[in-house]
Formats: sequence, C-alpha cells, structure tokens
Amino acid sequence: MTIPQTWVGRSRPSVDAGEIVTGALEYVTDRFPDGVLHGAVLRSAVPHARIDRIDVTAARSLPGVHCVLVADDVPVNALGPREVDGPVLAETCVRQVGEAIALVAADDEDTARRALATIELELAPLPVVDSPTAAAAPDAPQLHPTGNVSGRISFSSGDVEQAIAPAVLVLRRNVTTPSQEHVAIDTPGGVAAVEDGVVTIWCGSQNPGLHQRKVARALEIDIADVRMIANPVGGAFGSRNDDPMPVYLALLARATGRPVRVHMTREETMAAGAKRHPFWTSIAIGFDATGRILGSSVRAVADTGPVITSGPNVMKTSGEMSTGPYRFPVASFDGTVYYTNNANAGAFRGYGVPQVAFAIENAVTEAAHTLGLDPMQMRIDNALRGGEPHSLYRHRVTDSLAVRATLEQAAVHPLWTDRVSWQAQAAWPWRRGTGVATAIKGVGMGSGTGDAARARLEIDGDGHVTIWAGPNHTGQSIQTTYGQVAADVLQIPIEQIDVRVGDTGVVPESGPTAASRSTYAGGNAVRMVCDELVRRCSELELPLQLDPEGTGTKLVELGEATYEQTFVLPDTDDIGLVPPEDLAKYGPHRVYGACTQAVRVELNTLTGELRVPELLCVVDCGTAINPAAMIGQAEGGILQGLGLAIMEEHRLEGGVPVTTSLENYLIPTISDTPVMHVEMVDSTEDSGPFGAKGMSEVVVVPTPPAVAAAVMDAVGVLPQTLPLTPERVLSLLEEA
Amino acid sequence: MRLNGIEIDNVPAELHGMRLLDYLRTERGLTGAKEGCGMGECGSCTVVIDGAAVTSCLVLVGQVLDAEIRTVEGLADAGHGPLQRAFVARQAVQCGYCIPGVLNSCAALLDRVPDPDDEQIRTALDGNLCRCTAYNRFYDAVHDAACERRTDQAGQA
Ligand code: FES
Ligand code: FES
Repeated sequence: MTIPQTWVGRSRPSVDAGEIVTGALEYVTDRFPDGVLHGAVLRSAVPHARIDRIDVTAARSLPGVHCVLVADDVPVNALGPREVDGPVLAETCVRQVGEAIALVAADDEDTARRALATIELELAPLPVVDSPTAAAAPDAPQLHPTGNVSGRISFSSGDVEQAIAPAVLVLRRNVTTPSQEHVAIDTPGGVAAVEDGVVTIWCGSQNPGLHQRKVARALEIDIADVRMIANPVGGAFGSRNDDPMPVYLALLARATGRPVRVHMTREETMAAGAKRHPFWTSIAIGFDATGRILGSSVRAVADTGPVITSGPNVMKTSGEMSTGPYRFPVASFDGTVYYTNNANAGAFRGYGVPQVAFAIENAVTEAAHTLGLDPMQMRIDNALRGGEPHSLYRHRVTDSLAVRATLEQAAVHPLWTDRVSWQAQAAWPWRRGTGVATAIKGVGMGSGTGDAARARLEIDGDGHVTIWAGPNHTGQSIQTTYGQVAADVLQIPIEQIDVRVGDTGVVPESGPTAASRSTYAGGNAVRMVCDELVRRCSELELPLQLDPEGTGTKLVELGEATYEQTFVLPDTDDIGLVPPEDLAKYGPHRVYGACTQAVRVELNTLTGELRVPELLCVVDCGTAINPAAMIGQAEGGILQGLGLAIMEEHRLEGGVPVTTSLENYLIPTISDTPVMHVEMVDSTEDSGPFGAKGMSEVVVVPTPPAVAAAVMDAVGVLPQTLPLTPERVLSLLEEA
Repeated sequence: MRLNGIEIDNVPAELHGMRLLDYLRTERGLTGAKEGCGMGECGSCTVVIDGAAVTSCLVLVGQVLDAEIRTVEGLADAGHGPLQRAFVARQAVQCGYCIPGVLNSCAALLDRVPDPDDEQIRTALDGNLCRCTAYNRFYDAVHDAACERRTDQAGQA
C-alpha cells in the first residue's frame, strides 16, 4: 500500500520560528534561574607547559566566591575512557592555549573573573609541537604515553602505480586546507542544577547521550542521575559534539549545590573550541586520453591538536571520500592524524571530506584543462552511479546515488552554459571565471557501526500524539521534519502531533546530530513508531484518522498508548574488499547524498580581491521532506564552504592563536554572499523515510574546489592552498 | 529611558555602568537580545535606540537614560508584526540566535525607508552575522514586510 502524502514534500516553517521572531524562545544560555551562580573557566595562555603549582587559596577566600575547582576536585578527571581523551581540568601539564585549568562559581560574573585573576599558577614552559611535521620528528616531545600519532588508517584496492602506468596524464599534487572555526553565533554555555540527587544540564549538544555519559563519568555518578537538555541552542555545525561545557556546568552545580550558569566568551571559544582539522593532502592520479580516471592514491595528514576528540574518525571519513564521487578501478588511501600543541580539532560539518575533496577535485579540474576536455562532461563520464562498487572499498553504494544527475542538471543551467560570454564581459582590472566541482558524502555512521535511532510515541485521551525522538536539533528544526513524517504516516493533522527532541530524560538514545543522519535515521524511527501505532489501531479496528479522541481513549484504557521503535541503519549489501572483522573500522556507507556546484568568480588583478557573485547548487537528497528547510540548509552550508574557500583560517604561531576574535577571524557577511540557485534532482532513497536521505554536510564540500576551478578559469592558475585571501590571489597572479 | 514604550524612571545608579545588553537580559528579563561576541562584531545584541540599530554590548546603561529603546520583544507593538511574520513564512530562520538582532536592523531600516531596495537592506544588515542561513531570505522577508505594511496603510487610508 502506498500512503497518500500530505505534509511530506511541502515547505513548512519550523515549529519554533514564531517564538524566535518575538524573542520568546528561551535558549539554554538565556536561563537565569533564581539563585543562579556565575561560573568562569581559567584557561592556559601558553601552548605547552608543566604545571608546577596551582594556588587557589586567595580565590577561594574572595567574598562572593562559592567554589574553585582544580583537577584534584574532579572525581574522575577524564573526558573519556582513554588517556588521549584528555582531562576535564589540566593536572600535570597544559597542552594548548585555552585548555581549562580551574573552574570558579561566584555570585556574579565580575567576581568569578576576579577570582580567576587571583589564582597563582606556576608553569614551566615545555617545547611546543606546532605542526604534524614537528610531531613526527624523531626527537619530538611526546604529548601522550602512546606517542604523537592519534590515528592512522590506510587501505588499498590494488597497485595504483601499475594502474596509472599507461596513463597519458599523471598528476602528483599537494593541497593544503586550513583550520576553520565553527563560529556558531551562540557560544558554548548553559545552566546546571542539582535536585534530588539528579543533575540537570541545559547546554547545547549534538550528542546528549554522549554528554550524559561524560558527565556521569567525571562526577562518578549513575548515568540515570544525569539529565541533558540540549536545546534550544544557537548553532552547532559540529562544535557541540566534543564540547566539555556540560561537564564543567555539572561539576560547578554539584560543588555549590546551587544552579550555575556559564556562557563562554567569543575569545574563549576561538581559543578553546574544537576546529575543522587542517589537512595536508597529496594525490597521485592518472587519466587516459578521454579523461577517464585509471587510479588514484591519496595521502593525508591532519593536525588534531592535543587530544583525540574526533581525529581518527574524521580521517576515516576522509579515507572513504578520497576517491570523490568517481568510479575507477584502483585506489589507495593512507591518512595519519597527529597530536600537536595547536588548537584541538574535532567535528565540523563535512567531517574530513572538504579536505580530501579539494585534492581530487583540483586534480580533475587540472586534468580537464590539460587534456582539453570539458570539466563538467569529464565529471559526468567518471561519475559513480547508483549500485556500483565504490572505488576504494569496492562496496556497493545505494541505488539512489544521483551524482551524475546533479552534474547533468548543472550542465544545462545558464550559469554554466553562459560562462564564456559572462567571462568576456569582465572589465579591467577584473577577470572572471566559472568553475565546477562535485562531491558525495555518506549518511550515518557507516556499515558495521550498529548506528541506530529510536522514537517513542504516546497517544492521549484527546487523540493527541507526542513523539520523543532523536537526534537533537541545533537549528535545523528537525522536529518539524519528524512531525511531517509522523502526520503522513498517521494521517492525522500535523497540529495534533508534538515532537520533542534533545532531552535525555524523555527521549530514547538516538545517537548524534552528525553524519547527515538526522532526517534519515531519526525520520525512519519516527516513521516506524507511527507505523506501529497505525498497525495496532487497525488490529483493534480503531479509527485513528476518523476518531482520534475515541481511539486515544480506548488505547489509554487498554494500556496500549505508548510505542517505541528502533531504526538500525542498514549496512551496505556488499562490503566489497573490506574484511568483515574490520567493517566498523572503515565504516563504508550504504547511502550517500550528492551535490554539484558551479560558481562564478570575479577577481581583481590589482588588489587580489575575489568576489563570488553567483552560485548554482544541485543537490541529491532523495525526497526533500521540507524543501524550503532543505534549501536553507544548503545555502548555509554553501556559505560555510565559501568561507573556507576565500576567507576563513584559524591561524596559530608556535601554538599561540593569532586569530582570537571576530575582529581578526572573519566569516561571510551578507555582502560576501552570492546569489544562490539551489536545485534538487529527482531521486528516492528506498531505505529512507518517504525516500529521504541526508544532505546538510555534502553541500559544504564542492564550494572550495569550485571556487578554485573558477579562479583557474579566470587567470590560468589553479590554487592549491586555501583560503584564497587577497595576498594568496596576488601571489597566484605572479605565477600566471 | 523608554523601553518598548514603557517609561522607566530612576534606573539605580549602580546599574549605570552596566552594559545595556546585560541590563536588558538580567535586569529586565528581555533575553531576546543575544550575546555573540561582546565587541560589536556580530550584531546579535542589536536593539533600536532612538531609531537607530545599535549593538547593545557596546552601550552602557548610563548613556541611554534619556533614550527610546526598542528590543525584539517590542517589535510587534511598534507595528513590525508583518516583518516577524515574513521571517517565519519565508523560512528565513534556522537556529534563530541572530534573528532578534537581524529583525531590529531591518525594523530600523523600515522605519526610515518604508520600501527599501536590496542595496539598502544589505547595508542595514552588514553588521549582523548569521552562520546558519545565507542571508538571502532576509531580503525576501523585508520586501514582503514592506509590501504588507503598504497594503495595510492603503487599507486604512
Ligand atoms: S554581542 Fe554585541 S555585537 Fe556581538
Ligand atoms: S539562524 Fe542561526 S545564526 Fe542566524
């Protein structure tokens, strides 16, 4: 039976939009409960030092101070089960600027900051490991007992050098992509309070269950005594995966017995918040005369800073995406993640894909140019199609993969077809160019990982349905999407359905808001739990749609008013060359979203200024459940990709951040924003809710290489280092 | 000062040195004004002071004792319901954290220029950072609001 759809596919404003525009929505950082204390964090100003002495006597005796906590005061001073997860508070040494050393709670923020200033700290400087190269040096200081290698992943599907021996063109290139700061406009913070032995933490999180476990570990309390309420929060983009803030809040609330509030400053967030991993990527890739890829070998090095956070997992994703959206016979990948005393790097929208995509897309751009081929057609000819084996792991990718369709649709758009005449209209000192790039990214945590999402449903005597589901929302209004799915399965008005996310007290564990999985995984769990209610109603011959009230009343009477379902993300049907025992280690995906972008660039040959006036984005996301929300996600993602391409770089010198605030770390403003055309292709993912899959990360990926290709089209040189600041553009022009 | 149309006399002297942003959030419970940087760079704390969009993190209470101040909570009463509704209908909000500041910048513009063009909207919003959206729908929402306000006025005339 096919379910007639009513809500899915229709744009619908987010459920909390009304409260957003009146200022009524209470973010976790807007809470000022009665008797709240204000917390602050003492942070290291140096990248690497031994801690010889911390004296908090003066701070503790300052009037208005309620507690001062150092490492010894943390029951289990660990942010995770492994040493490399790092401590909650620095104990014997500090390993990055911004590392937390002490926590204070006081009557007001001023007193808390004054208390921090009285803490006496004796630090003995240690040599700074300021790059992966320094970390790999034989005499490098070792940042962990396990050494300076945080993770390594390599895989080969055959002999690449042999495969590319007959190539008419072999490119061996190195590209560099910078550290990028999320700049969620809301900085980390929130409130914690202890009541009846339960610590409740209102703090943004993309993984409330993980944060619940982190808090329980550090405080040495039962996980049932920790409740994370993880929204509303002002943006995340990956920054709320590894954030230790919930642990700080919980410690302070427990130590004082009072509610405690902390809201990090922008400067603190710039120094201490996890960043996008900077990468150094090299590629060797061979092409035949028609532009077909014969084989590629990619080596990547990443800097994860002093603790592990997502380092090796990011590199795992880089490995899988190192062959781009292309189909070719032989590939290899070798990626290494190093510890350094630079900024910790963690999850960031795209999760290791933009970095390697820049290498492979640049290579394809250059090859098309050298071989005299159309860069769009060359991509179409090489595109991986649905159901085909992935180029590295040879596992089967989903039938719905429509990367080729995204390219074909972009190829006929005027932004692309008019590129020659548009270029010819440039007026000195400006030059113009148009570039294209394409990408895919997996949806979910990958095969073998047991990735799952859950949903619980309850119907009451009024026929009103409440659904508790995950993953959490951090700005995507995922509740709206879940509500649309539920309304269509239940065939009842959407107003009769309430969706709650992000509260570990009531939402069953559903994993992170990450890996483009929320719509696909959470949406499927919602679909399943609604299916279950529909099934039960039909067994009991209860007319849910015609008489929701009577049906609800009856189900409550029968004690059958609640349902729970788990959606386990399906693994790929054929794991290809991946050894079954290593399936989770490589985590190849079954389902991928795809995106092609074509970008226009104008470049000032005197000043190096680079403008992006117009951009086309074609997305393969399966069914768009809430099309305007999907397009909004795409636009925001593109702008973050554009920031990475042309202006954003978190810079450090000798481990000391140079970009310290929004004064010197710039992100795109409305004036930097191009006119964007976002289109969808027709695709349906059979395993997704109503055919949907995920797309919110892949849209970040093509932007930087498309900009690079446009620069080459404009001035004849292909940039290999991001971001394309005016200085970099000027030095490129010297090469031209 | 007049805050969202309400006269507030005798702001205690010890609060004069407080940032207006903190005063609004902690003393008046107007948490619609958000902090994103504390140094005038992000615009999420933007309120309207004597008709101009101003970042309230850079203003001290003592500087605005005689001023007319409007926050996002006062937008509807000031006739900006159409603007608020347009932002909802255009699905121009995501996480929403920047939105109160964005709306105040737009409202100050609409009060000055009833039918702004894109260039004027861009200039008005150049100090408001949004990391979720790509700003484009802000133009549409402002145009919608301007149109609705014109139609309303025509209806009343
Ligand atoms: S908080 Fe005032 S401009 Fe950012
Ligand atoms: S909507 Fe999130 S910052 Fe603008």
